[in-house]
This record gives sequence, C-alpha cells and structure tokens, in this order.
Amino acid sequence: MVKVRIKGLNKYFERVKAVNDINLEIRPGEFVVLLGPSGCGKTTLLRCVSGLEMVTAGRVLFDEDDVTFLPPKDRNISMVFQNYAIWPQMTVNNNIAFPLRIKKYPQKEIEKRVNWAAELLGIDSLLDRYPTQLSGGQRQRVAVARAIVMEPKVLLMDEPLSNLDALLRARMRTEIKKLQESIKVTTIYVTHDQVEAMTMGDRIAVLNQGILQQFGSSDEIYHNPVNTFVAGFIGSPRMNFIEVEMVSQNEVLCLRAKSLVVPLLDEFKDKASKLSSKRNYILGIRPEHIYVTGRAQKDKVAATKGKVYFAELLRSDTVVHLEKEFGFIVVKSPGDLKIKEGKEIEILIDLLRIHLFDKDTGNTIF
Amino acid sequence: MEKQKIPIALKIKQILIIIVAGLIVILFLTPLVLITISAFALPSDYYQIGKVIPTHFTVNQFKSLFFELQAWKAILTSIKVAGLTMLLSFIIGLPAGYALSRYIFPGKNFIKLLILTTRMFPLMILAIPLLIIFMRIGLSDTIWGTSLAHTAMVLPMIILISSSILSSVSVDYEEAAMIFGLSRIQAFFKITLPLALPGLAASAIFAFIISWNEVFVATILTLTNRTLPAHILKTAMASPDYFKFTAGFIMAVPAMVFIFFIRKHLVTMWGISLK
Repeated sequence: MVKVRIKGLNKYFERVKAVNDINLEIRPGEFVVLLGPSGCGKTTLLRCVSGLEMVTAGRVLFDEDDVTFLPPKDRNISMVFQNYAIWPQMTVNNNIAFPLRIKKYPQKEIEKRVNWAAELLGIDSLLDRYPTQLSGGQRQRVAVARAIVMEPKVLLMDEPLSNLDALLRARMRTEIKKLQESIKVTTIYVTHDQVEAMTMGDRIAVLNQGILQQFGSSDEIYHNPVNTFVAGFIGSPRMNFIEVEMVSQNEVLCLRAKSLVVPLLDEFKDKASKLSSKRNYILGIRPEHIYVTGRAQKDKVAATKGKVYFAELLRSDTVVHLEKEFGFIVVKSPGDLKIKEGKEIEILIDLLRIHLFDKDTGNTIF
Repeated sequence: MEKQKIPIALKIKQILIIIVAGLIVILFLTPLVLITISAFALPSDYYQIGKVIPTHFTVNQFKSLFFELQAWKAILTSIKVAGLTMLLSFIIGLPAGYALSRYIFPGKNFIKLLILTTRMFPLMILAIPLLIIFMRIGLSDTIWGTSLAHTAMVLPMIILISSSILSSVSVDYEEAAMIFGLSRIQAFFKITLPLALPGLAASAIFAFIISWNEVFVATILTLTNRTLPAHILKTAMASPDYFKFTAGFIMAVPAMVFIFFIRKHLVTMWGISLK
C-alpha cells in the first residue's frame, strides 16, 4: 500500500488552467474519489498521476518516491479506462496476462494470477473469447481484472461505470468497492456521479474549474460543505439557495427573504455574531430537511406557506416545488404524500440543519 | 408460410440499379477486354480489315517485348523503384501521420495544408530543376533518384492516409499499453500497428501502384535505368500497334490485381475524416 501525495499540481493546456494548484494527500489503501462536473479537471488530474499527461508544475509522490517525471510504465500503476480499452486483437486471457508478460513473470505465476483475477471478477469462463464477443459489463470486468492482476501500487479509474446501464452500474459499484477493500490497493476514482462518490469513496475530493473545493469524507461533504458549489453539487434534489438579509425581530437574529423568516438558534449565535446587516447572505436548506406540516413532529422549525407549483411523484418520494415570492422552495417528502398542484400548504424548515453562505464569496459561514 | 410480395416500386428500383451498375461495368471493362484480346492477337488477325475481334492468338509479342526490347529489365527496375518508394514514403510518412493523428500542436492545420501544397505545382515545372539537381549530386539515371522523386509525389497522400488510419485506432488502446508497461514506441508497434496494419498495407500498395504507373518523372530522370512505363514509352510506342496493346496489358495487370486485393480498405483509407 502506497501513500500518494500531490503537491501544488498545475496543468495548463495552452492558456487554459485545467488543474490549478492542487494539493492532496491520499492515505495508503484509501479509496479516494475525484468528483466534479464535466470539464472540472478531474480526469486531467488523474492522467497527471498516471503519467499519461505531463504536469506543468508541481509534483506527484508515491510514498517517498518522486514519480513526477517517470513514464507511466515505470510508475507501477494500473488504470481502468472509461471505454475499457481492452485490446481487440487479444483474447481475454491475453489481455489480462499482458501486464504480467511485459514484466516477465514466469509462465506458472502468470496463469495463477490470471485465474485469480478472472475468478474474482467472475469472468473465468470467458478467458478464450475476444473482446468483440463480450457485453459491455463483461468488458468492464476484463478491464478491472487486467488492472488488478499485477497488484499495482496505485489503481486509477476514469469513470469506469459511465458506459453501463443503471442496474449494472449499481451492482458494479458495490463489487468494485468490495474488491478494493479486499485487495487493499490505494485507489483514485474519477466520476461525475455523486451517488458513486458517496457510496464508494473513503474520502471525496470535489473539484470545480480546476480548483479543489473540498476534500473530506462523504459525511463531511454532505453535512459541512465549504461553499455553495459543494453544497449545491452534492445532494439530490439540489439544496435550496435563498438570498436573505439579517434582521432582528424581538431581539432574536433572523434571516429574512420577503415573507420567509428563519430565526437563528442559539447554536449558531457565536458565528452569527460576526454577521453584518449590511452584507448579503445565502440561506441553504436541503430539500430533505424541510417537512410538510402534519407529516412530522419536530420542534425547532420555522413555518412558511406557499402554493404547490409542481409535484414530482417518484412514488418512493414526492418532490414538491413550492412557489414563493423569491422563487421556488423544493421539498422532499415521503412518497405517500398525496398533493395537488395549486394547493396552498405549510412547510417546516429544520432550524438545526440550515446553512448560511456569504453571497459574494460563496463561502460557508455555518 | 405465404411468400411476401415485394412492392412494385421497390422492384423497379432494384432493376434500375442493376441496369446502371451494368452500364458502368461495361464502360470500364470494355477497353480492358479489348486491350487483353489485342495483346494476344496474331498480327495478321489484328490487321485484317473487317475483323473486330481476333480469333488467332500468340504470345510472340510478349516474348519480343520481354527479351528483345528488354522489358524484363525495366520491370525489375520498376519493382525496385516502387518498392523503394513504398519503403521511403512509409519511413517518413508514418511518423508524420502518427503526429498528426495523436498530437495537438500549434500550426497543425497549416502543416497539413503545407503537405498538400507540395502537390499544387505541376510536375512539368518541377521535373527539369529536379533533373539538374540530381545530375549535380549524381542521382540522375539511378533507382534512388527516381524513388526519391516518386516518394515526394506519394508522401502527402501517405501522410494523410496514415494519419486517418491511425486516428481510427483509439488512443485508449495505446495509453492502456503504456500504463501496463510499454513505452510509447513499443505501444505503437505492439498495439496500434497491428490494429492499423490492414489499412496501412493497403496504402503501401497504393504507393507502389502510383510509382509503378508514373511515367513523366521517370522518363525525364532516367536514360538507361528506366522503369517500365518509361521504357515502354521509348520502345513499344515506336513499335507496331499490337505491341502497344501488349505493353498496356503488362502495365495494367499488376495494378488491377493489387487494387482487387485492397479494394476493401480503400474506404478506410479515404473515408475516415482527417482529425
């Protein structure tokens, strides 16, 4: 198991900064997910670690070894590509054995390892086939088997599940995670899918426009996002963002947006004391932290009313879009909620789970 | 089960396609057939007025063309020149095509255009200065000289074709090979080249044929070491008509046979857009 350190990494494509001064320290055996929208630089960062892309500035270290200028073949890494990239002119067996043959393993050892990897991935019956005779899911398994067969120092995965159908993706998610846990290889996994990130990653690095936004466990990222980008990117439906001003009502500090008044609990007093009534703030509330009145018994809530503009009946959940003077509030409710569009309802905002952001910088206040 | 009826409009369309295709085939094959028949015709048959299709055949013209007029030597020269052209154009063209297909670099489109502009000037303009340069450096009337001139002619095509063929092989295959232990050059030879080989072989044959058929430059640059077309121009064209047909037949057959084998790949060579 290897510790991976990325220090001050920059990658420019001509004038475009694809990766902007990124520092990451990945623990031995850790499963780290690079998460971000397309074009955020996550794949470029991964390719810099792999050596397929030359860095513009900064360094990459595996334990104490500086690999920044090593060609990919000398880094002792392996990679699963988005399009699998298993060689069409070779059988499954030869594809998986290829890394071992290049490294001149003895024939017996090659056979042993290929069989081990193939059995682990459940493709031992397909060894004599050619890639064109395989389904997408099977090709994916071959690509993973090839990647683990020589026990690499670091395993890199570039959106490996994005070409699979939803059902298979969910299954492979668990399988890859379990596999990684059992062979304990330091893994960097690139995805734009927050479900993959949340379910698989020991820690998640959220990237946007080449800049690292936050690096932490899924718990931290969900509950304590550092800015509006992370808060908005993680969670489905997206967090509600409401522009608010600070007011004092009956000597209680409140956040107000037109008719919506959210009093601040004592828990937030410390941080709120620094707030100024002159600045603008953004209130963030996740849809799952708002309840429809009568559906849940909660204290420490703020109530507000609104007209139902649209209700998404997912059956497992009901997502209500509530019309307010300042826009919409999205509420996620259990699926047994029967609701009519155009009806006026009351909702309760969980005061313990609100977030506040500075409007100008987007940074989190609490 | 009842046989399904094909709509009448569809039937007419099929028949029309067959007729048009047939006309095209006749148009292209008629001269070839006439050349072939006349190439083997007995001179007396050939000159008999009122006899369009000869009935008596001989291989005497071939014999005299090959041995008395020494076409066998010219054929040998042609094979050498065309082979050398093929080799040279690949040694230079393949790396260039690889660079164009795999890398993005400043001035890439300009370079592509530049490659094509070498074909912009008529050969007549280039041939005389080329001969003078070749005479000075001692390349005139040599196999190498003709090959170099032919290489310059086919190189733009080889570069663009091989770039198009290499582009059709996904970069991922190469990068995967680099991850799993090969250098870029090894990855190219072990992974990419085998995948691109059918198309590249076809374009190599293409280069061979262009050199094999080229007559103008070959005539100007050589006197004794003439390639087949240049040799025929000098000898057979001054001989009786039926010799010309025999010479034409010798010229056409290898090209036809080669094209027949690579016809499947002609689409790949030109079909894939140049990235």
